[in-house]
Amino acid sequence: MTKIKIVLLSAVILLAAGVANAQNYPTKPINMVVPFAPGGASDLVARIISPLLIKELGQQIIVDNRGGASGNIGVAYAARGTADGYALLLGNIGTMAINPALFPKFQVNPVRDFIAITQVVDAPTALVVHPSVPAKTVKEFIEYAKARPGKLNFGTAGPGSNGRLEMELFMDYTGTDLVHVPYKGGAGAAAIGLLSGEVQCGFQSLASVMTHVNAGKLKVLGVAARKRVKAVPDVPIMSEQGFESMKSGSWQGVYVPVGTPRPIVNRLFAVFTKVMADAEVTKRLNDNGVEVVTSKSPEEFAEFMKNENDKWAKVVKKVGVVGE
Amino acid sequence: MEIFNNLIFGFSVALSVQNLFYCFIGCFLGTLIGVLPGIGPLGTIAMLMPLTFSITPVGALIMLAGIYYGAQYGGSTTSILVNLPGETSSVITCIDGYQMARQGRAGPALAIAAYGSFFAGTTCTLLIALFGPPIAEMALKFASPEYFSLMMMGLIAAALLAPGDMVKSLAMVALGLLLGTVGTDVDSGWARFSFDIIELTDGIGFVVIAIGVFALGEIVANLGDPEERIIFTTKVGSLFPSKDDIRRSIAPIIRGTILGAFFGVLPGTGPAIASFSSYMVEKKVAADPSRFGHGAIEGVAGPESANNADAQCKFIPMLTLGIPASGTMALMLGALMIHGIAPGPTVMTQRPDLFWGLIVSMWIGNLMLVVLNLPLIGLWVSLLKVPYRMLFPAIMLFCCIGIYSLNNSPFELYLTAVFGLLGFLWMKLECSPVPLMLGFVLGPMMEENLRRAMLISRGNPMVFLTRPISLAFVIATVLIVIVMVVPAMRKRRGDITG
Repeated sequence: MTKIKIVLLSAVILLAAGVANAQNYPTKPINMVVPFAPGGASDLVARIISPLLIKELGQQIIVDNRGGASGNIGVAYAARGTADGYALLLGNIGTMAINPALFPKFQVNPVRDFIAITQVVDAPTALVVHPSVPAKTVKEFIEYAKARPGKLNFGTAGPGSNGRLEMELFMDYTGTDLVHVPYKGGAGAAAIGLLSGEVQCGFQSLASVMTHVNAGKLKVLGVAARKRVKAVPDVPIMSEQGFESMKSGSWQGVYVPVGTPRPIVNRLFAVFTKVMADAEVTKRLNDNGVEVVTSKSPEEFAEFMKNENDKWAKVVKKVGVVGE
Repeated sequence: MEIFNNLIFGFSVALSVQNLFYCFIGCFLGTLIGVLPGIGPLGTIAMLMPLTFSITPVGALIMLAGIYYGAQYGGSTTSILVNLPGETSSVITCIDGYQMARQGRAGPALAIAAYGSFFAGTTCTLLIALFGPPIAEMALKFASPEYFSLMMMGLIAAALLAPGDMVKSLAMVALGLLLGTVGTDVDSGWARFSFDIIELTDGIGFVVIAIGVFALGEIVANLGDPEERIIFTTKVGSLFPSKDDIRRSIAPIIRGTILGAFFGVLPGTGPAIASFSSYMVEKKVAADPSRFGHGAIEGVAGPESANNADAQCKFIPMLTLGIPASGTMALMLGALMIHGIAPGPTVMTQRPDLFWGLIVSMWIGNLMLVVLNLPLIGLWVSLLKVPYRMLFPAIMLFCCIGIYSLNNSPFELYLTAVFGLLGFLWMKLECSPVPLMLGFVLGPMMEENLRRAMLISRGNPMVFLTRPISLAFVIATVLIVIVMVVPAMRKRRGDITG
């Protein structure tokens, strides 16, 4: 009799241990996958927000860098994570909205395989030009570019990068013809190309070019953001200059694998919204040229992400960029 | 002179107890991660960045900088002792440094590496102080055509000057170039030679090949040869370099510093090029090139100075123009921005305490590293006395931890093992892996710059000859080829007629 009691007791305890209870969440360290190598823009955001996240959640947050394959390695790993709130993904515009169009054979589909919690930041991109280009506004630049089709170069971080796709969108809308020049080594390498005048223009993340703009080595003609940026208050945003769809730059958001219980999703939404509203976190991010942008609800973010997916899928299809 | 005022001001900032403390922590941590294979300054700085939020900007930057060049010092330690390159730039030190260790001269090798690095660090600190901004401006004149011509010169020189049989060297270079093509094509985004393995779409990691071929290959070879092992672990000579060693090292250290400074200032060059070129140059100018590969001290003095000079000078474009020359520099840039400082031409005037404090602390850091590392040489050398059967599993363990720490990828571990086997094979076939490493590093960069130069010139190959700097490198390449090939041809004719 005693043996059966022991077995039954153990069974009850084990069953209870398996229940992910939102009230107790979190009870152990949480893994946050950043699908890029340490040192990049995504990684920086993760490291800036993690101290306060740890405080709010009362548990360790492990920033898990899994870089490679344009972020797909990290995304694949995160998709296999447990749907209990202990496996987060800090995805960005590239991994969650552009890659699905670039890599149609990739087994993970961000819209299908993840629950979107909230956007956290937006790093505005800007249309920058070399001083040799005599344009002061986007309109003047369009005229300048139209007058010399196929002569101007624009630098990007690669054929599938959001800088390239934004420029393709721009060219499509304005009827201009610029030549794409890719740089390996990320945004930094393209910025160097711009400085040396090898390429005359490009959509770069505002943060990476601010020092050069301040030194007069580069000009910003327009910023892709929701509203004017403090760093360059006199530069109109793209939507003011007629580009309605360019309201965001390189955004990042938090995701959990599909199947995560609703109470945990809500809890995470509340925590992240609170952390992103913190003044210290906001200041640190702003100093790096990154704006804090959060969603009103997980559904709103999911909607945003779907729109982004559709928008970039159209551009990718038109340009014919193929991932593999 | 204004420069002295600035330097004295810098000293007053850097010598505060707090900043000295940060400098020490940075150097110590840096040496530690330099010794451990795999995880490098980039990962460490990224992880420690949140800790720096609560420190002053000057202190944070001093500490992070200390980690960075401390890693250079540490990386050479394991290269010399156990043929394990702790950093990508220490790969070259393995060649002669390890041979010196096998001859019982690990102490002198480590000491000369430390002295050379210190000299290079001091010189570059002065360079930055005196000529920082103008040097950075000049570096901007290098665009794709110049980079391509420079690297082509380096590759051809390497192929012709490599140790051993020239045919084998050329074959290894070709193999290195082929291995370098694995990855994502820069223009179209297509994956090349990835065989649908997702981890290969970014190419094979340099560290994977370096550790596999050098460290693991060496272990396998050692295990197959018990005789050699005994000599290795029991023969430990003097800890100090002899007068002869010092005399031979002076010129290589100076040359290495110049080369390292040159490559350090150019944003588009990687970490290993400085030490590779220094090795090539030393081999070419040496009175007796056959000593290289068998424990020539010049093969340690030159490359070590070069890689330290390269590391220091990479700060120049970052501080004066705000251009990060490498991933680590990009992180430093980010760290500065978090503290509200935007590096660029204005930082010298707006935040002189930061600029000069950092420069002076670089010198202090170098001094601290020499002071830290020299006494440790005795400790490191005594590690060699550990029986090999206990040493090699420890080495392998560190290698595995190191590789895994890079990308949390088990696939890379398997790949390292494969290269370990290949390294052993090449050792038995007497094919030197150095040309392969060079081809592997330079190949992708050459290709990228070639295609970009052609893209921008709209298909006009004359662009390499019409731009003056590029033309200079092309002419130098032609001269090198003539100098190397003509004597061989003349000798051949001599054999036929005489």
